[in-house]
Amino acid sequence: MLRLILQRLLALVPLLFIVSVLTFSFTSLLPSDPVDLILGDTGTEEQHEMLRERLGLNQPVHVRYMQWFGRAVQGDLGTSFFNSVSVMGAVMQRLPVTLSLTAVSAIIAIVVGVAAGIAAALRPRSWIDRFATLGATFGQAVPNFWFGLILAAIFAVNLRWFPATGFTPISDSPWDWLRSVILPSIALGTSSSAAIARQVRSAMVGVLQQDYIRAARAQGLSARRIVLKHALTNAMVPVVAVLSFQITVLLGGALVVEQVFAINGLGTLAIGAVRQQDIPMIQGLVLVMVALVVVVQLATDVIYGLLNPKARPS
Amino acid sequence: MKRRIRDAILSMAIAAGFGLGVTAAHAEPEGTFKYAEQVKLITMDPQQQSGSGVPYLRPVYESLFERGTDGKPVPLLATGYEVDGLDVTIKLREGVSFSNGEAFNAEVAAANINRGVELAIVEGLKTVDGAEAVDEFTLRIKLKEPDPAIIDSLCHTGGMMLAPAAIADPALDRNPIGTGPYVYNKDESREGEVRVYTPNPTYWDKDKIGLARYEVWELPDDTARLNALKTGQIDAGNWLANPQSAIIDRTPGLKLVRGTGGLNYHVIISDREGTVVPAFADLNVRKAMAHAIDREAFGKAVQFGLAEKSFQPYGKGDWAYDPALEGIYEFDLDKAREFMARSEFSDGFTFDMPSIPIYQSRLEALAGFFNEIGITMNIVPQEPGTLARVSRTTNYPATNLVWATNTDPKFLALRYIYEDAAYNPFKAKPSEDLLNLAKEGLESVDTAIRAPIYQEMAARLAEEAFLIFVTNTPILIGVSEATANNPSVVYRFGEDSINLRGLKAND
Repeated sequence: MLRLILQRLLALVPLLFIVSVLTFSFTSLLPSDPVDLILGDTGTEEQHEMLRERLGLNQPVHVRYMQWFGRAVQGDLGTSFFNSVSVMGAVMQRLPVTLSLTAVSAIIAIVVGVAAGIAAALRPRSWIDRFATLGATFGQAVPNFWFGLILAAIFAVNLRWFPATGFTPISDSPWDWLRSVILPSIALGTSSSAAIARQVRSAMVGVLQQDYIRAARAQGLSARRIVLKHALTNAMVPVVAVLSFQITVLLGGALVVEQVFAINGLGTLAIGAVRQQDIPMIQGLVLVMVALVVVVQLATDVIYGLLNPKARPS
Repeated sequence: MKRRIRDAILSMAIAAGFGLGVTAAHAEPEGTFKYAEQVKLITMDPQQQSGSGVPYLRPVYESLFERGTDGKPVPLLATGYEVDGLDVTIKLREGVSFSNGEAFNAEVAAANINRGVELAIVEGLKTVDGAEAVDEFTLRIKLKEPDPAIIDSLCHTGGMMLAPAAIADPALDRNPIGTGPYVYNKDESREGEVRVYTPNPTYWDKDKIGLARYEVWELPDDTARLNALKTGQIDAGNWLANPQSAIIDRTPGLKLVRGTGGLNYHVIISDREGTVVPAFADLNVRKAMAHAIDREAFGKAVQFGLAEKSFQPYGKGDWAYDPALEGIYEFDLDKAREFMARSEFSDGFTFDMPSIPIYQSRLEALAGFFNEIGITMNIVPQEPGTLARVSRTTNYPATNLVWATNTDPKFLALRYIYEDAAYNPFKAKPSEDLLNLAKEGLESVDTAIRAPIYQEMAARLAEEAFLIFVTNTPILIGVSEATANNPSVVYRFGEDSINLRGLKAND
């Protein structure tokens, strides 16, 4: 297992390098110019040139990339084109916000998805199964930003149970933190819970028909013990594989849902950076997101290996 | 500009309501006021501020002058001024210090102006050659050319005064130090989310500090901002004409305040000499286009009923506004077709128009109107943020932009009229009438003298019809009922913010 972890972490190095080259190349192809945005409508050609020089934009892309790379390997991702905010500082400030949102969404997705999947699998073709299937279809079909708007309108604006916007750090108040992330997390986690429910139902239906389950029943084990201990453990193996993908989806979805609830996470930062063509910020964000996805996949691989010994590397 | 115009220093000082020498105990500031801004903060350096975001600066920085309730400049850090040709002499308020304890005087003010000139980002300082201290509290600004709008420019970012220590700070964009009623509280602010301001203990007019805390929330999403207003998370915020502001307008318990000024949406026929599209050289064609636009329907359908028809660059309430121009290009398809028939292009023609996503629906509506008279307008999508740049090139024979209606009319000439104007990429020669009026408007600082000149210029622009004004959207500020009923709330003239001097919390 340790070898797997080391292998994955080593693979992260070339991956980040390739991603950084691609991001730098693609952003340099964009037609809009950050200098235009900084100087506004009134900047003269001379000012444009001076600012381009100051930002290093007058140099070829490969030279700019090498300069950036030289600093990045020392842990310096540079500063924004538009102000003195450091990229690393900005990303690190927002990372806990997006991670909070993703973690709570993942918990909601797992709890709701697994429960709905088990309930549906225990009574196939019953009204519970049909209801769960319908719910899963709805959950997967509904765009998370739209669902977020609806949740905000009902539970924040009308009922005033939760704040409509903003994020409270957990260190300020755990209760207010939970209130601030609950609606966006439901909006975000619904789609994943639907995907997980479908996967759990399908896996559980298969496992419950296995001989060892029949044997367990014949031995007089309680239904709860059979389902939770014997069936679910095996059924969770394919679910963990789905979970890895779903958490990546949640990270991406958080970027959109953050806008709806005015949550100042990586998504809000990313959208602002793209709009402004803030290349250092875009570069830093992409790298952090890629690293996050790799870490999530590594974690799920480890869990997968723990659940399924056959999947462990020899 | 030989004419010597002396401002009544004494009356201005009275108008400023000087707080110096006030010895009576002042009320302790209390409560919080929360304002939401639709644009993210880029920089807190006013001299590097090229667009929106002034509400982030106002708590900390004060300008030499500010606009009074009638839009005319009144002194703030100044006490009066005198314009003599290219020399502008400004008397400064004594006894003012920056929040870090540094003194405010003419030397500091000159350093500020010279920095703004050197950076050359603030449009209002482009006519300034330099500034110098005459004595401790007298500042002289030397102009490169006559500029009747210089005092108005000093009401905005160009006239905001930064402490010398702030100027020397490379991280000034996040460490503002000014003379304003509040100081920026970096520790309590959260980058990208909320800016917190607390009272300035050294403020020169303590009675005007009414709040214990002022917050500016960065809420660019219109729906999120609307929800925050509805739930009382914010007390006020600024909006553009969009579905969310229309909702505020009809929601009980909320109010949409329409401020003076705003944005004028217009079409610019850049190729008015017909270099690329010969039809644009024909006045009949341009007039036909102006008559073909149903501005009322446009305002209702595309700008959610929050815009008014426009036939001139100035808005109602502006000193240069001319009611006589109202309806000059009223929607009249028969008349539009008549003009087209009179032109050499009665069979119609085609041209390209650049578009950014925010203007897409506007251009689709305009394309429909032009189509009615046989003109095909191809909408060519551009990357967001590139419209101004492509509009300055000869890539497109026409473009569409907005213009802040409370901007001094002299900028209209700098943008569109002069041969080297920013948005005259084909270098079309202005008519002699227009050129003379544009120049004549610079000869006085007195708006009473300038108004008829610019009204004539607007009439001439209408006659030449290369600028087709479509609609005016006022400055829109959405407020809660409590804010609407708060007697201390004063909206800044021509600006999407609330005057903080004297502002008290709603409770």
